[in-house]
Amino acid sequence: MRPSFFHHLHPPAIPAAQARWRHTLGAGGTAVFLMLLLGVTGILEMFYYVPNPEEAALSVQTLTYHVPFGGFIRNLHYWSAQLLLIVSAVHLLRVIFTAAYKYPRRFNYLLGLGLFVLAVMLDFTGYILRWDQGICWPLTTGTNLIKTIPLIGGFLFRLAVGGGDACQTALTRFYTWHIFALTLPVVVLGVWHAFRVRRDGGIATPPARLFLDRTRIPRDELVRREAAAMFIVGILLILLSVFFPAPIAPAMIDKPSLNAETRAPWFFLWVQQMLKWGDPFIFGVLIPLGILTLLALIPYIFPQPADSDIGRWFPKSNRLAQVVVTVIAIFVIILTLINT
Amino acid sequence: MRRILTPSSFLTSTLLSAGFLLALLFVWWWNSRAPTPIVLTPTLTGKPEYCLTCHADLPEISASHPVETFGCVTCHGGERLVLDKDLAHSSMRGGANPSDLSVVEASCGGSNCHSGSEADDRHHIQRVTTSIQATYAGAIANIRFTFGAQTDLSPHYGIHAVSDDKTQTGIQSLLAFDPFSESNPNIQKFGEECLTCHINATPREGDAYARQTGCAACHTPLRLPSNSENLGGVSRRDEGGGVHALTTAIPYTQCNTCHNRGNYNLRTMTFDERTDHSTIRLYDYYQPIAQFTKCEYTLDCIDCHTRSEAMGDGDIHADQKSIEYVQCKTCHGTPTELPLTKTLTDPNDLAFRLAFLNPVIDLKLGDTILVTEKGEPLWNIRVLPDGTYEMYGKATRQYFTFRPVMGSGCTQTGEDQSSSYCHECHAVER
Repeated sequence: MRPSFFHHLHPPAIPAAQARWRHTLGAGGTAVFLMLLLGVTGILEMFYYVPNPEEAALSVQTLTYHVPFGGFIRNLHYWSAQLLLIVSAVHLLRVIFTAAYKYPRRFNYLLGLGLFVLAVMLDFTGYILRWDQGICWPLTTGTNLIKTIPLIGGFLFRLAVGGGDACQTALTRFYTWHIFALTLPVVVLGVWHAFRVRRDGGIATPPARLFLDRTRIPRDELVRREAAAMFIVGILLILLSVFFPAPIAPAMIDKPSLNAETRAPWFFLWVQQMLKWGDPFIFGVLIPLGILTLLALIPYIFPQPADSDIGRWFPKSNRLAQVVVTVIAIFVIILTLINT
Repeated sequence: MRRILTPSSFLTSTLLSAGFLLALLFVWWWNSRAPTPIVLTPTLTGKPEYCLTCHADLPEISASHPVETFGCVTCHGGERLVLDKDLAHSSMRGGANPSDLSVVEASCGGSNCHSGSEADDRHHIQRVTTSIQATYAGAIANIRFTFGAQTDLSPHYGIHAVSDDKTQTGIQSLLAFDPFSESNPNIQKFGEECLTCHINATPREGDAYARQTGCAACHTPLRLPSNSENLGGVSRRDEGGGVHALTTAIPYTQCNTCHNRGNYNLRTMTFDERTDHSTIRLYDYYQPIAQFTKCEYTLDCIDCHTRSEAMGDGDIHADQKSIEYVQCKTCHGTPTELPLTKTLTDPNDLAFRLAFLNPVIDLKLGDTILVTEKGEPLWNIRVLPDGTYEMYGKATRQYFTFRPVMGSGCTQTGEDQSSSYCHECHAVER
């Protein structure tokens, strides 16, 4: 049997060790699946979504309650997006904890980090597109943070929001950001990221001279495993979508209300908690950007892991990076829990 | 390199595929459980609403508010497209009662509805919000005066702040009464215990006090009098405890949810609830020493008391006395004067509108009806050719005829006409 298109997207055979679930947690592959699902469900939503301030929330209500399976598709889109953030974070942690970012993969690590940032921004813009009473506070607070940046804050704010009061004007901007201006870079970076995985020698393992397990699995076995993972994630998504519908709030009446919902979306709760501590530029912009920069620099300035440690969980040679990332993760999780 | 699927991996694949298919089937079944949406596009808004999906069996609220015209959202607010109960109801005005005074302007107002012009007699909301039923200004001024917080009985405070630019009474505005900013503990206690009677107050607990707030305090009767079989258009409280009805045929039992329910005890600053539960109308009045004539315990309150007395006249008043003016002589006249009358020549006369809203009488052009000293139509009382009068009960549709005092054996002087003088001869002893 000649391999199909889908088989051809994979290498003819990969080392069995790399294909093990406990080696990768399946996070990268799951992220790809979730992104595809987001694309499909997103296109379906676009058939009904009306991006103007008067009708946006009503079109979401129509989609949710009157389009056959519309509510289910919207819930799938929502849960895929939330799961994508979790899976991406798990993927990032796995790469750090298995020292997989070492040269030549460190550039791909940056591509992945960029994808993660884009995923967060897509989640935020998607949240705003509901354009109901729940979005005004997060939108105003989130976009006002941009203004606090010295010198270029005003310019960046106009770029992101389009100027004026965000609650009145930002919908068209956010729609364009969500549908094109963030999604296209995700596609480009995503394909580049996948290309670099293969160009850099597949899932990270020690160099051949140090890696003696020569067992390989064929790509139809790999595809079968991927399909199995997709079924499992699919069932999970279906159950989440049926029993935990995506948030929705009453449409805005007359003018936007800042009082309806004063909590940030869950992935920004940690930033919201820090904002209670003081200067919004320091706590809302500098610290999150500082954390991002630190993560980006790990492959470049931290002690390099030993070749024999690549692809092994929690090796000694990159302990510092593990500790730093663990501290960051615990910091973010604790702040999120405090603010829940 | 090619491997044949092992039995165990074949089993896993089959199970997972079957599980996924089952999950999809489950979604299909879950979706099919949802009720079929029922859409209504009211002519007034032209925007579809889906409230009837759940509320199809609700009776029409009144003949003046047909659901095909108004829909539900015009008055109630809410999310018209949403089929989830909590979300659909989350933005409703005033919960189940959109006529609560806090939201009444958005629900019932508008120049084409109930905050229209005074010239058209359509300034209902302005009248109600300035009326003593809503401000409670007299009681507040009395209590503050009694306990030394003010030096005279002039009103300074109402339940809510209110102003009247075109005042006829000289009272231009009232501040919002805040009992907790008062220094006298009696006034504070008055605030805690005694502010349950103005029409926007949450009523006291107990079935006898059950009523809504705002317009619905009067226009949505929750209780029916014992002679309710005569009552048209007033629906009974449904099983959920609410009523979807608005009427101008307000039975006395609705007035009794506030009036005749007990007395305020000024020493303890508490409300002493009445303990008797009479089923005889005459004894339903809670004024032990009072006397009543037959019409006072046969008719309904609204048969004598006019719309401006009950709902206010658009001016801020200081107390009940300054707004209540109808007396026995308004209908019966005095030994020397007949009651005032008016012959209906204008088809747009207010009397026709009121008779249309509560069709207990077939008023026609050329009919002569009684009017009050202030010119308000007593539209349910018509002069008969022989000089007597016929009257239809507004809430009960009961038919009465009566004579003027003039020409009778009554010797009461024209000056002494308050009810106590009439009670001297005409009261029924209890």
